[in-house]
Amino acid sequence: MMKLSISFLLAVIVVLLVILFLFTMYLLFQRQREIRFEKTRDTYLQNYSQHWYNYLINDEIFSIVLVPRGRAQVAAIEMIFSSYLKNIMNVKVNHKIKEFSNLYLKKFYEKDLSSKRWSIRMNALYRIADLRIEELLDTCQQFEKTKISEEEFFQLLKIYSLFQPEWFIEKIKEPEVNYSESEYRRLFVLLEDDVFIRLFEDFDSWTKNIQFAAIDTAAVKRNMQYIDKLKQLLTHEFPEIKIRALKGLYEIGVIDEIDPYVPFVTSDMWEARLMVAKIFNHAPLNYTYTYLEQLLQDENWWVRSQAAKTIAEDREGIVKLQQFMESSNDQYAIEMAQETVVRKQGNK
Amino acid sequence: MKVFLDYCMWFFGGVILFYMLFVIVSYCTMLVIAMLDLRKRYKLDPSEYDDAHIDAFYSKPVSLLVPAYNEEIGVVDTVYSLLNLRYPQTEIIIINDGSTDHTLQTVIEHFQMKPVDKIIRTNIPTKQIRRIYESEIYKNCILVDKENGGKADALNVGINVSQYPYFCSIDGDSILDEKSLLRVMKPIILSDGEVIAAGGNIRIANGAKMQLGSVTETHLPNNYLVIMQVIEYLRAFLMGRIALSKFNLVLIISGAFSVFSKKWAVEAGGYSTNIIGEDMELVVNIHRLIKEKKEKKRIEFVPDPVCWTEAPQTLGVLRNQRRRWHQGLFESLWKHKKMTLNPKYGLLGFISFPYFWLVECLGPIVELGGYIYIVVAFFLGKIYYEIAILLLLLFVIYGVIFSIASVLFEAWALNTYPKKRELLRMILLSFTEIFWYRPLTLLWRCEGLIRFVLRKSDWGNMKRVGIAEKEKNV
Repeated sequence: MMKLSISFLLAVIVVLLVILFLFTMYLLFQRQREIRFEKTRDTYLQNYSQHWYNYLINDEIFSIVLVPRGRAQVAAIEMIFSSYLKNIMNVKVNHKIKEFSNLYLKKFYEKDLSSKRWSIRMNALYRIADLRIEELLDTCQQFEKTKISEEEFFQLLKIYSLFQPEWFIEKIKEPEVNYSESEYRRLFVLLEDDVFIRLFEDFDSWTKNIQFAAIDTAAVKRNMQYIDKLKQLLTHEFPEIKIRALKGLYEIGVIDEIDPYVPFVTSDMWEARLMVAKIFNHAPLNYTYTYLEQLLQDENWWVRSQAAKTIAEDREGIVKLQQFMESSNDQYAIEMAQETVVRKQGNK
Repeated sequence: MKVFLDYCMWFFGGVILFYMLFVIVSYCTMLVIAMLDLRKRYKLDPSEYDDAHIDAFYSKPVSLLVPAYNEEIGVVDTVYSLLNLRYPQTEIIIINDGSTDHTLQTVIEHFQMKPVDKIIRTNIPTKQIRRIYESEIYKNCILVDKENGGKADALNVGINVSQYPYFCSIDGDSILDEKSLLRVMKPIILSDGEVIAAGGNIRIANGAKMQLGSVTETHLPNNYLVIMQVIEYLRAFLMGRIALSKFNLVLIISGAFSVFSKKWAVEAGGYSTNIIGEDMELVVNIHRLIKEKKEKKRIEFVPDPVCWTEAPQTLGVLRNQRRRWHQGLFESLWKHKKMTLNPKYGLLGFISFPYFWLVECLGPIVELGGYIYIVVAFFLGKIYYEIAILLLLLFVIYGVIFSIASVLFEAWALNTYPKKRELLRMILLSFTEIFWYRPLTLLWRCEGLIRFVLRKSDWGNMKRVGIAEKEKNV
């Protein structure tokens, strides 16, 4: 039995070594191909980058030599386009890139979408969205009907949000669609204002993640028309929504009245009190000082600290804090005020 | 006497054979899981994610903690690599742990640090802070000078001083790739906080070209000892971390580069100061907390993000490092031994702990026993030859085949060392592993075990000793 085992193990080792040897050969061959691919790509970049610049920026006439022949040249064009799209905000350049991609790159990505490899399909979906290849929308809708992964579906949503927002809204309503907040944010940021506002109007029908993402996106878009929407949410039944709305309003940074925020000074949630202390940074101190003084004596360290910072930001702030230190007998609040005064004076 | 010897030889031969088979099957399983995972991502364009998340709107701010003890040479480059990071919102907190060299002066002068008054919230009790400085050139760069208390204590001070909800610990002589933080934060961001800690992949920097805190070119070093460590890191990465992480079973994420949720780390008591493997200890404590609070949280290893670190170049330093790692591993496992096979901790108790005990911790004893057995068997006569040959063949599979497979799979999936010559050199060197590198590291690891048993209490205040001691357990 032992003899058999030794010969068996030897056989296993030999088989494994042969497999590894073949794999090494395959890798070396593959590397050779990669080197050839990179060489073709780099040659294209070297020869045609200037042509592309002339066509995209200097409005020179389009030359047929720019049309890619083969994958390596497509890769080179992707690199060129990506650098223009990332670094320049120019409607004309974007339009030209879109036009070219719809005409000459479409067929490559269409083929990629039917690839067996997940990563190739994902890359194609990335490019369709980045290069705005609208002509592949039907193909994408067909692709959706095949068995696709969650990540692929997310990319499809991104494509729909760009090319067919109505369809996008329908799609995210589907109960099996459930992404994280940060992913919804990535989608919502791309929406046009009118579509986004509609999304906001149906607020209560959305899942929590969509609601949170919508509030955060409203804040980051810094659009005045969202302020009222966010203010309405301050009376929402869910505490988390209220805090997010406060945070959004703070980030937009336009405070036209303080009344909606005053009830939060005595909120049970320290996060809400903290956000109010931050929001008052955007309002004159003579309106907010009474509340800020109250927050300076809060039981929570973060709230006290923020209240002191907000007071100190005002021109009269340091004097107010010094007066407070003389009159108060709350040791924690005095320490906080003192630290803020010292820091503020140190920075001057 | 001869009968007794016979029984002993058969018994030990059987145990060692059985053990080797068990380890080989475990490693094979983990290799297959890792390969399936990496294969999916093969050729996926990562820049798409990076570009989408470079905006602060999608990410969460991170405090970068750099504990430094006598690191006047490496610390400036580390801080530069952090300043080079592509990440929207970070603060850099350098903690000088009572260095006896010029670390403090170097940092103060280089980054124009000015003393500031700051009230610190003591979330975790630590040694006294002497002074806090703020850089005049980089507003997000803080230096904390404190009394010497060891790396764990320095990190705890960093946590107390930090103001962001996540912190990332980076060793004072490590270099981060500019996108590594963005990518290590990916599971945390995408899971909306379900992932509460993530560790990055550590690579060996010897032979790489660096400029102002960035790795510009990777080359395989010339030193054979270092190349063996490169191969060992690849193995550990493919046959351990990825598979364990997939099932939330990771017990070690490297202390040289890992991100934690501050809330959870504080609740777990921060880094333990009385233990050698403080990073493993924190991970185990957080796992414990997750189970006790019955929350759905995860700790992940992210294969892609890279932190470059320098590996020991001499046998003496390597011995020191391995001894320490192993002692740290044993200490942590021993401290939490009650979690082993405890149904309260689920798969962690039934898979992770037994795996770490049997394969990682006690493995060196059995394996070294195997080597001794082979030698003894050849002296005792031919009836034991067969077991000895069987063992030797298993060592070949375990040492040589697995190493070559790791090198090849890594080259296929990630391609860190793109030159053909480098690949072939690593493959050739893998054939020699079982004859010198493996037995040596086994000896050192066993030494670590013995030290744990004999001098348990001697390791209270472990000072970090130099460049080669930085990377934590592979």
